[in-house]
Amino acid sequence: MRKTWKRSAALAAAVVVLSTGIAGCGGNETSKAPETGVAESQEEKGTAQGSPEENPSGGGELNIYTWAEYVPQSVIDRFEEETGVRVNYTNFEANEEMLAKLETSGGGDYDIIIASDYIIKLAADEGLVKEIDLEKVPNYGNIDPIFQGFFYDPDNAMTVPYGPGIPLLVYDPAMVECEITGYESLWDPSLEDSVALMDSERVVMGMALKTMGESFNTEELDVIRAAGDKLMELAPNVRVLSQNQTQDYLLSGEVNAAFLFTSQVVLALAENPDLEVVYPEEGLGFGVDAAFIPVNAPNSDNAHAFLNFILDGEIGAEVSQQTYYLCPNKAAYEFLPEEFQKSLVISTEDIPNGEFIQDVGAEATALHEEIWTEFKAKLD
Amino acid sequence: MSGYNKIINQSGTGAEKKTKGHWWMTVAPLYGFTILFVALPILYLIILSFLTRAQTWGVVNQFTLENYARIVKPVYLNTFKESFQLAILTTITTLLVGYPFGYFMARLPRKQKSFMMLLVVIPFWTSALMRMYGWIIIFRSNGILDKILMGLKITEKPLKLLYSYPAVLVGMIYSLLPFMILSVYSSTDKMDWSLVEAARDLGATRLKAFLTVTVKMTLPGILSGIVLVFIPSMGLFFIADILGGGKVMLVGNLIQNQLQSGRDWPFAAALSVVLMIFTSIMIWLYRKLSGVKDLEGLL
Repeated sequence: MRKTWKRSAALAAAVVVLSTGIAGCGGNETSKAPETGVAESQEEKGTAQGSPEENPSGGGELNIYTWAEYVPQSVIDRFEEETGVRVNYTNFEANEEMLAKLETSGGGDYDIIIASDYIIKLAADEGLVKEIDLEKVPNYGNIDPIFQGFFYDPDNAMTVPYGPGIPLLVYDPAMVECEITGYESLWDPSLEDSVALMDSERVVMGMALKTMGESFNTEELDVIRAAGDKLMELAPNVRVLSQNQTQDYLLSGEVNAAFLFTSQVVLALAENPDLEVVYPEEGLGFGVDAAFIPVNAPNSDNAHAFLNFILDGEIGAEVSQQTYYLCPNKAAYEFLPEEFQKSLVISTEDIPNGEFIQDVGAEATALHEEIWTEFKAKLD
Repeated sequence: MSGYNKIINQSGTGAEKKTKGHWWMTVAPLYGFTILFVALPILYLIILSFLTRAQTWGVVNQFTLENYARIVKPVYLNTFKESFQLAILTTITTLLVGYPFGYFMARLPRKQKSFMMLLVVIPFWTSALMRMYGWIIIFRSNGILDKILMGLKITEKPLKLLYSYPAVLVGMIYSLLPFMILSVYSSTDKMDWSLVEAARDLGATRLKAFLTVTVKMTLPGILSGIVLVFIPSMGLFFIADILGGGKVMLVGNLIQNQLQSGRDWPFAAALSVVLMIFTSIMIWLYRKLSGVKDLEGLL
């Protein structure tokens, strides 16, 4: 749902890979530096930390599967250095792609997957998610409880929150004549051809539903249809639909107002502090990307070690600073620089008010798709 | 071309006799490959298109025609219509630009010919995606094109060129033009120019000779160019995404959407099957019109 700069990062990575001829992603660099890892990993084996795998480089492997560049390279490097585990980083572009692959492999092949809340719920329902052995993850207590107990993992047994966020409206006050207070403001005629939205039907339809006082996840077809009618009226104002780097459209002046993911909000403000951020009055959305271990993960011990590693305060701070999502790690707060304290921790008080976009039934999904197709036909 | 085929066939039967019926061993890998990687996936796609989507994730083994029935809904028919319009527009434009280009390229002296060929092919060395981002730099607000137009005082303020239908059209034409050029080039290059001379000797004007002889003889090239441009232009969804700013929905985008956020694989399969049927019709028409019995004419 909330995939974003990662997707374009994936594209960019693909371009780089194609043009420079470097095969693979991330995993490659890691294989370049085994020398330092070997010595340490030998010791590591003694502590029974490494998996019993036959791996010649010692320490075993860890297969991470998530969006491109979502786990900072510096964090991967450090994990490899400290544990001697060799990390293979594979990326997907869409949550659905991940689940399809995970299903084909019967919950194997990968050790750590980081994906969005709603898809984790589906994966868990399919029995593809392993329970976390909390004894192997002593840092589990570092998770800020405010980021726990959500619908996809009500008992906090299977996931570690990685990138939580609240999508917000951001606009350029110098260019916008109307007052923007919520989603409804985007319908204002003065914003003609100057709004950027996410290229995601559930998010955009969610805005229309919220203006009607409805839930993102209503399954009542009449309500969805009414929201669809309302959405069609938004068409003249939409300049671009985009998941990736949407903040760039705002910064370059291509659009004057945009609905952005948390990471994009942070990046937009860093570039242009004069932009105004609006917490939509109709109600906030909320989403969490979380890490989990697939049920048949080949290197389960290494996966637990990795979860423990990213829950360390210092590492957690590093992760949040580089992904620009909210920091779900209590122990990391003290390591966050001042400017990030503001942008990454500030909105946690709003989280209880945020509504997740969850999976709706087949009929409702099909209707959303249909409305979306119609909406796009109106746009060009 | 048919003569060429004859030679191939003759040598084929010759080899057959020599190896005394073991000839199949040489083609078995090819058949195996085709069955495994072409026939089976298509079969899977067709079967999938008659199944029902599960409530949340995956597919239920329950026969239905619902997926095909949904395609005739106005909203989806409209997507097909828009894709066709764009494909036809792309094909016509590439033909108008590509035919003269390919024609004159074939008439150049040998050295210049291979140099031109190199220029046409070089863009293929770069990722298509990267080249689309190049167009963004040209088209965006206050981008290169805007700066030039405003510098020449042709326009006053930045045009909103990017994220529009015309931008997608330009991207399509740009990506597919080489296929048209190369098709026309190869059939012009093979042409027997003495026939044109004969027509001129018999009193035809230049234009008449061109229309009655040259066009006719390069028709296979024109038609294969049309097929090579039209078919991909139905499916190049990333161009619509990048240059259309997510606002232009083609059949390719629709299929991608159904596979991902829609999670309706059977519907996506049904859409793909329909698209394949259209593609097959195109190729059938091509064979019918050009008289070429196999697709060897396609470059």
